[in-house]
Parts: sequence; C-alpha cells; structure tokens
Amino acid sequence: MSQSGNTLLQRNRDPYLRIKILIGIVLSGVFLFPIIWMIFVSVKPEDMSITDPLNWFLPPYTLSNYASVMAESDVLLWLFNSAFVGFATTIITLIVTSLAAFAISKIKFRFRRSIFLFFLAGMMVPGEATIIPLFEIVKSMNLLDSYTALILPMTASPIGVIILKSFFDGVPDELMESAKIDGCSHWRLYWNIVLPLAKPALGAIAIFTFIGSWNNFLWPFLAIVSEELYTLPIGIPSFNSTYSTTYMLPMTVNAIASLPVIIAFLIFEKQIVKGVSFTGIKG
Amino acid sequence: MKNQMWRNDLLAGMFLLPFFLIYVVFTIFPIFKGLQMSFYDWSLIEQGAFAGFSQYTALFTDPGFWQSLWNTTLFVILSTPGMIILALVLALLANINAGPKLRTFLRGSYFIPSILSVSVISYIAIFMLQPYSGIVNNMLNTFGYEGQVYWLANPALAWLSIVGVTLWWTVGFNFILFLTSLQNIPDMFYEAAEIDGATRWQMFKNITLPQLIPISRVIFLLQVLASFKVFAQILLITDGGPGKSTRPLIQYIYEMGFEQYDLGYAAAMSYVLFFILLIFSVIQIRSGGQGRMI
Repeated sequence: MSQSGNTLLQRNRDPYLRIKILIGIVLSGVFLFPIIWMIFVSVKPEDMSITDPLNWFLPPYTLSNYASVMAESDVLLWLFNSAFVGFATTIITLIVTSLAAFAISKIKFRFRRSIFLFFLAGMMVPGEATIIPLFEIVKSMNLLDSYTALILPMTASPIGVIILKSFFDGVPDELMESAKIDGCSHWRLYWNIVLPLAKPALGAIAIFTFIGSWNNFLWPFLAIVSEELYTLPIGIPSFNSTYSTTYMLPMTVNAIASLPVIIAFLIFEKQIVKGVSFTGIKG
Repeated sequence: MKNQMWRNDLLAGMFLLPFFLIYVVFTIFPIFKGLQMSFYDWSLIEQGAFAGFSQYTALFTDPGFWQSLWNTTLFVILSTPGMIILALVLALLANINAGPKLRTFLRGSYFIPSILSVSVISYIAIFMLQPYSGIVNNMLNTFGYEGQVYWLANPALAWLSIVGVTLWWTVGFNFILFLTSLQNIPDMFYEAAEIDGATRWQMFKNITLPQLIPISRVIFLLQVLASFKVFAQILLITDGGPGKSTRPLIQYIYEMGFEQYDLGYAAAMSYVLFFILLIFSVIQIRSGGQGRMI
C-alpha cells in the first residue's frame, strides 16, 4: 500500500505525534472499556454489591456464573441457533448469488440487461419497510417459527450479485473460450475457473452475510415464537430483562454471546476490515 | 444459430432460477403485498374489508405516527454529525506513523464494538447507566458528584444515552471507510507539497480533506439510511420511553401491527417509511454510492 512513503515523509515532521498517540490510546480505552467491564463482571461472585468503581475489576474472581447461566438459561442453544442460521444463510447466499452473477456475466442470453437491472432495483428496497408484508407472506407459506423462515428470506442479496458480477467480468473471455474448447461445461467453468478466482469477493460477502445474520434482530423478533428457535439477539433480552439489580448473570450471558465473535474478529481482522471497505455495507 | 440462442437462454435460466425465486418471493413481492395490505383492514388473523385510503388519512391525524416519525428524524439529526466527525477523527488517529502494531491495535479497538450483537450492547448500556449501582454513576460519585443521574428516566438524557451508545457501537464502520480512503491518497501528493514547502496544516487542508470529500458523501448517505431504520437498541434500552419520548417509527409500526393487531395500518406506515428510505437510496446510488465499487 501507500503508507511507507507517507511514513518516511511525516515521521521527521509531526510535532504532535506523541499527543496524537496518547489521544488515540485514551480513545481506544474508551471503546474497549464497556467490553472489558462486561468480562470482569462475568467473573465476579454473583451476590457481590459494588459501589467503588475499582472493585468491578479487582479480585475475587469466579467462574461459577458461567455454570449457573448455562444451567438457568438456554444460552448455548441460542449460540447454536445463531451459528447454524448464520452459516446456513451465508452458504445459501454464496451459492445463489454466484450462480446468478455467473449467468449475467458469462452467458449471453436474451433480457440479460433487464434481468440485471431488475436485481439492481432490489438494492433500493429497505427490508425494514417491507417486514410487515414479509411476515404475512411467510405466514401464508406456513413457514413462520422455523429455521427456514430465519434463513431463506435473507439470502437473495442483490449487492452480492452486483459485487460478484463485477468480479466475474474481470475473468478474461479468452480463458473461458479455451476452457470451452477443452470440453468444459458451463457448470465446470463456474465451479473450477470462475469461483476460485473470485475468492476475495466471496470472502467479503460471506463475512457480511454472517455478521448481518448474527446480529439480525427485527426479523427473528417477529418470525420466531418458540423458545427453542431463539437466536442470541432474541434470547439475550428474554433472559437479561428479568434482572435489574444483579449484574453478574446478565453480563455472563453477554460474554458467552460475544467471546466467539471477538475471537473470530481477532483471527480474521484483516479480512473483515477489507470486507467493510470493499462493500461499504452498513450494519 | 437460433438453437444456440435457446440453449443459452435455458442455461442462463437454470443459473438464475434459485436467486430469482427467492428474490421475487421475499424481496419484490412484499412491496406489492404491502401496498395491498395498506388498503385493507387487516388483522393478525385475517384479511378484512377494503378500506380505501382510510389508513393513510388516519395516519395524518395520528399524533403517535407524527411523534415517532419525528423521533426517528431527531435520532438522524442527533447522531449523523457525530457518526461522521468522530469516524474521521478516529481514522486520522489510527493512521498516524507510530508503527504497524499500534495502528492495528487502534484500528481493532475502534472497530470491535461494531461486531457485537445489539442485545449485548444494549444490556451493557442499561447496566452501566443504572442509578446507584451502575459504574457510570459510581465513577461520577468517585469524582465528587453527589447524587444519582437517572440516565434513562429523562427524555434529554435518554436521547443522549441512546445516541452515545449507538455512536460507540457503530461508528467503526464509517471509521474503516475513512481509514481506507486516507490510505489510498497517493504519496506523491504529499511529496510534491513538501517540495513546495507546504506546512503540515496546509497539506491536511489542501490535500487530505479534499481527497476525502467523495467518501464523506457516501458515508453521509449510508449513515442517514441506516439511522432512519433505528429500532432495536431503542426498544431494548428505553422501550421508547420515558413516556413515548424516544419511540422510533419502526417501534410504532411494530406496536400497531403486533400489539394492536392492526397490520393494515402498520403496512400503511411502512409505506411512508419505504418512500423516505427510497428517496435517500436513489440519491445515494445516483451519487455513485455503492457504485464506486462496481
């Protein structure tokens, strides 16, 4: 990237560098503080009452909250549901969007442009504003309160098609032609040649689809009634709202819900950051 | 020749079919279904009588609708400037020349709240902001303030809390967009300016800021679109209260549809929201929003 020259250039000259580093670190403390606090509260003895701020962070520590939360709530089930729905949504999204993008980019058929514009139009449909009729439609299909309801409506992502199409457009037609001469069918072109070349785009879409599904609140809130289908965003309030003065169990549930994504973030930070700047999609 | 054309059409159809079906049923059809519903009395159980424009006319005289629409607008007004300015400041800080380790750390810590679930951040906020036992009040007391701030019991403080929490939670997305575009400014611009003897401030004012204008426009529009959809964190943190003073439009739509069982009216209000969001979407796509990546 372009930073190395920048570095050389400015290092000699920035008189405020130390102050900027200090402000940067203080602000990072502000951003991390609630998360760190949550984790400390989750390891404090359940019945402790705390008024001195420092005591939130000082010993004694215990892991017993984790045991009680797993016994008293279905947090592991919500975790499983969120993960299952997230992975299923991501895989189906990748399959259907890449198939559609391949057709638009690489097969010369009639109405190609109209179909693409029809998909483009979907980018302008705000899901939140069509959620009431979506509820009615899913209800009339007898799909409410099922995994299918949580997964399927979230998989037709027009942005996914657009990003993948632009990626596939970059695969030279000569490569396609020579593969065709070698007797490759369209299916094999799609699977063996085009898809592997689009890995970065597929990765970005996968990350976004998964985070979107993991954090989706409104749709599961409407579509799910049975407790055994709760995802984390729905399950957490159902448990936490029954507590108001004891902090330890709600924060333990929060921590159990957050640690997997925090770990995943630390592992995939580079890809996630790239994904955000690549797609520009907001959560 | 004609045969080949048909074969291509068929082949393309097979590739398109799965996406097409899901897209039509769950994205396109709801637009028309919603329009139909907004013209009927429609309960949670069944479709009622044709209602003409009555839901739309009712909406104009419904103070609940106007207040929740205003609350959503107020949230957009209160949160957008911070969402952009703070994101820019964070991006400038995370782009300082202090070694890759520190930069990675700063980038990670500014972004990490964005990946947490809305339910998690809401309950962190609720518990941190509690009177008497919450850590925010604990700290205020330690620093000499004697008394309790009831953060969620007073409309102004409730708004401050909601906007502050949302800022902390989601500013990371805008921050990453600014950071990427800062790092994409070609070095030669700065090198040339340095040869001309420009000061750091002049470089910032005449190179950095102008180079960030296109991305700022994108961020602004994406932010307005996202903020107009505000719902979950308000529902969880204040439940629209105190009173109805923070209840956003989507919460009112939800209450009308699923607590008052008036889905027709909820659909009519959704249509108003649909058009507001559509206007911003069109502006955004026209101004080259996501198009820049295509």
